[in-house]
This record gives sequence, structure tokens and C-alpha cells, in this order.
Amino acid sequence: MAGKNVLIVEDDPDIVVYLTSFLEDHGYQARSAGDAGKALLVLDGFRPDAILVDVLMPGRSGLDLLVTLRRDPRWQDIPLVVVTGMDQVLQDDCQSYLLSQHGVSGPDAVLGKPIDPTALLAVVGKLVGRQAPTAAG
Amino acid sequence: MTATPDNYRQYFEEMPCYLSVHDRDFHIIEANRRFREDFGQRVGDFCYRAYKGREEVCPECPVEKTFHEGCSQISEQTLVTTSGEHLPVRVWTMPILDEGGKIVAVMEMHTDLRRFKLLEARLEQSQARLAQLFEEVPCFISVQGRNRIIQHANRKFRETFGEGVGDYCWRVYKHRDEPCLVCTPQPAFDKGVQTEHEEVVVSLAGRTMHVLCTTAPIRNAAGEVDAVIEMSTDITPLRELQSQLTSIGLLVGSISHGIKSLLTGLDGGMYLVNSGFAKDRPERVKQGWEMVQRNVERIRSMVLDILYYAKDRELEVKPIEVVKLASELVESMQKRASDLDIALSLEIEPEVGVLPGDAKAVRAMLANILENSLDACRTDTAKVPRRVDFKVRRSPPWLLFEIEDNGIGMDRETREKLFSLFFSSKGVSGTGLGLFISKKIADKHGGGIEVDSEPGRGSRFVVRLPLEARPSTQPEQAQAQTASRTN
Repeated sequence: MAGKNVLIVEDDPDIVVYLTSFLEDHGYQARSAGDAGKALLVLDGFRPDAILVDVLMPGRSGLDLLVTLRRDPRWQDIPLVVVTGMDQVLQDDCQSYLLSQHGVSGPDAVLGKPIDPTALLAVVGKLVGRQAPTAAG
Repeated sequence: MTATPDNYRQYFEEMPCYLSVHDRDFHIIEANRRFREDFGQRVGDFCYRAYKGREEVCPECPVEKTFHEGCSQISEQTLVTTSGEHLPVRVWTMPILDEGGKIVAVMEMHTDLRRFKLLEARLEQSQARLAQLFEEVPCFISVQGRNRIIQHANRKFRETFGEGVGDYCWRVYKHRDEPCLVCTPQPAFDKGVQTEHEEVVVSLAGRTMHVLCTTAPIRNAAGEVDAVIEMSTDITPLRELQSQLTSIGLLVGSISHGIKSLLTGLDGGMYLVNSGFAKDRPERVKQGWEMVQRNVERIRSMVLDILYYAKDRELEVKPIEVVKLASELVESMQKRASDLDIALSLEIEPEVGVLPGDAKAVRAMLANILENSLDACRTDTAKVPRRVDFKVRRSPPWLLFEIEDNGIGMDRETREKLFSLFFSSKGVSGTGLGLFISKKIADKHGGGIEVDSEPGRGSRFVVRLPLEARPSTQPEQAQAQTASRTN
């Protein structure tokens, strides 16, 4: 069975290595992009089963990218998880803001940094439609 | 019934003022009862002797003037009664004409001015006291009319903003060429209400101050508001303190995100080490350990920066050997530069000599900028030989440190926010605080930092420090305003 694909949009290289290794250890295939612009380029030839998006990145923010993706018929159904250390995003009512200001639905889930690995697996697993597998050997 | 000569006689006698009639030779030929009570029986005597105890005609004698000019005279004189009391009086003279129209006598009427003089003295005294208060109050006070022209300004105002009386308040106080858009005296003129507001003004000396200003209406005798008084207090020290506290709060807020990312990186490193051991994959362990070390170092920098900033210590100004400081600094960064494949060069004019300053702070300030430049080169992935050039030279009255890189460069927005607390260089190994602290250090020494940059081409930082010691006593307005804008 082919592993599910996850796109990681994050500018901190250490976090990219972490998430990539972690997800691959748990049966996923991961690709990454360092900012919103590169993410759109990657998405041109690759359709992931889920996207992890950081908020604070150079250039366009992760929320900005979210709005773009949600508006595009090619990508609007891909489950999207926002991963962030920003309190405002975690606490505020992200959903209603994005809906009222931009007319799009918010992320399917929001995870805070530092990342809780168990929560990450549970969220991603649920969104791509399967149980969290045991770690591959 | 018409008055008879007897009635007139009675009026003359009973008038509650001194009445006397004088001939051309200054003899008193008639006097009323009040006169006799206070000056005695003086008919036939010289008026100057009777009224003032003088032996000769008074200078400016109103009687003489009346004879000479033929018309009434009004003057103020001081009389001396028989009991020796000095009486201030107002004197009216009236010429008395014969049937031919010739002046044959002059009548003098004196009214007592004592009470008037007393009130006048009290008024003067209280006016003087008021003026003194107005002058000496340690606030900036000005009084403006409806035309916005300053009618009065106290000493502190004049010393700080210039001789404003007669000029427009918007010109003197606000250095504008035209009336203010929001005119603070307007509510006082329109509705007679007192208002309070805060604003930033600049003194003649160029010092920027936060002031709290109260504007109150001044009414004329008819009860209409014809002027306003504005009183401003310098609250800059208060605002500075507030901004310091706000900054620390902001600081914690703005870096909390950065810290969380670093902790995630640390988690990542530990995960790789642990899973590397578990799967017997030494290269993963190595990669993980490097991540751990890197993130611990980043956390360490951040914590030290926070501690440094929170402490806000005073500068210890001593002569700094510039050549020594710069060479040692560059040498300490050479390994890091060569690991990253960046050529770090140092060019110092041999005559730079000695700089008054806090060596530790200056070193930290320059180190932060060099780190930033190294990072800018590191993150730029284009394949060009990377270099950071550090130049030190004299340009009196300044000593200049120029740090130029051909790294990733910054757009205008980044450049403008570079030294503020909002700037977080997330994703690279900065804490977001380093440059903020660098600017503070430069300001504290009485100098400054300027940056020039172009995305894709690189950046150039120029730090200037004064060759003569003059630590700045100016409040840091940029920080204060940035901080207060977020409230």
C-alpha cells in the first residue's frame, strides 16, 4: 500500500528535518517547501494527502497561503493543518475570521509549537482517513 | 420750585467732599464744612499752605492752570490734614466767571481717594503675585485669543519654544506653516469646556517631549470666551518608564513564538538522536545531535539577549582600543564564517586610535550586526562567493564601522522594521533581538546605525559613534512611539 503524502510548508530547516523524519518513520512520505511561493511550485506537480503549514514565514504568511489554496479548485479539498507558535492564531477564532474576511473556511486543525508528536500523528491520520500506523521498522 | 441762593449755599456747605474757592493770588476765599473739619479755618490763607503745608505754589498747580487755560482741570494730589494725615485726592477745578466772562476765581472740589488707592494697591499686589505665579510655574503656559495669536506665555514656555507672544500658536508650539487640523482650543472657544490631551512637541533645542496639555476657556466681563489658557506638563520620563515596561511585555510576547520554534527544533534533534539509536542509524544520530547543539545555542543567545535587555545597564565609558577590539571580534568569528563558506574581511585605518565607550557593549553591538550579515549570506542560496566586509574609519566627529555583505538583502519593509521589537528574523539563527539591542547601544553612546539594502544584492550597515564622549540623554523616541502604538 502506497504511503500517504504530506507536504510540509515551513521555513525553519531543523523543523523540516524533524517533521520529515518523524512522518516518514510513521509510514508517510513527506516533501517540504521553505515558503508559500515554493509551496505553490511544488503543488504544481504533486498532490499531497495533507498539508502542514507554518504561519510565520518570510514573504507571505501561512494563513495567506491557506486562503490561496482554499480558493483554488485544484487544492481546496486537501486537508490543511496549521502548525504555529503564535498565540493569537491558537486562541483566536481563526475559522470565523477567515470566513468573514476572506470567505474561506479555516484550517482543518491547528497545532501549537512545540509540536506534540502524538497529537500530530492523530490529527494527520484522521485527516487522511486512516488510523495512526505503528512506526515502520 | 427753583433753588435760591440760600439752597446753593447749603449745598456748598454740606457736599461730602472738600470744596474751596481760590482767587488769583492763591488765597482761599471760601471753604465748606468738610474742609474746615479737616483743614481748619483757613479763609484768607494760601491754599498751598492750607492743603499741603507748603510755603510756595505747588508745581503744576491746578488753580494756576485753570486761570491760565480758562477751563476745568482734573488731577490727583496728596493733601495733608491738620492731624498730619496724608490724603490722596482727585481734584476738579471749575473757573468762576464774572458777568463779563472773565475768570475771577476758581473752585476746587476734592474727593477722597483713600479707599480707591487701597484697592488699587491690593489689585497691583495681587496682579504681581499672579504674574509671578504664571511666570514661574514649571509648566508650559500660553494664552491665545480666538485668532490663535499668543497673548501671554510664561517663562518656561518662552525658554522652551521661543518668544511666542504675538505669533500664531500653531507656528510657535507646533512648528507648522498653517493652523492645526485638530485645534485643541476649539472646544473651549465653541462650548466653553475644558479639555485635556496628550501630544508630542519639539523644543527649540530639538528635544522631543511627550506633554499632557490642559486647555481651559477664559471669559471676558461679558461672560464670553475670548481666550484660552493652555498648560502643558512634560511627561516624557513617565512615558519612557511606561514604554520600558511595555517593551519588556512586548518583548516576551514577540519572542514567545521564536522560542517555541527553537524548542521544536530541539525536540526534533532529540527525536533524531533517540530514533537513530533505536534504529541503529549512526548518521541520523549525528544529524540529530547537530540539531540539538544548534538549537541549544540559539536558545542560549535568546535567553542572554533577554537578560541583557531586561537589565538595561548603564554604560561604563572608557577609552577603547579600536584596532584591538575589531581584530579580536573578527578573529572570533572567522571559524564560523569559513564553515559557512563566507569570506570575512577586516579593513581598519591605522590611525583610528581610541574611542570613548563601553567596550563590552560596543563589541556586542558589532557582533550582532556581523552575525546578521553572516546569516544573510548563509540563507541566500544563489551560488555567488559570499563575503562580509568590515571596515573601520574615522570621519570626524564620528568613528564609522561599516559592515557590508552580499547576502540576501532586505526589502524596504524589513529594513524599516529591522531595529524594532517587531522584527523577528525567524528561521535564521537570530533571536530578533540582536539588532534592537545594537541600536540601543549605539543610541546610548550618542551615535546611531543606518542601513542600506537591496533584495538580492546585500546590505550595508554603518554604525557611527562619537569620537568625543557624549552619551545620549535623549529619550528613545522611536522605541517609545513604537511601543505606545500597540496599546
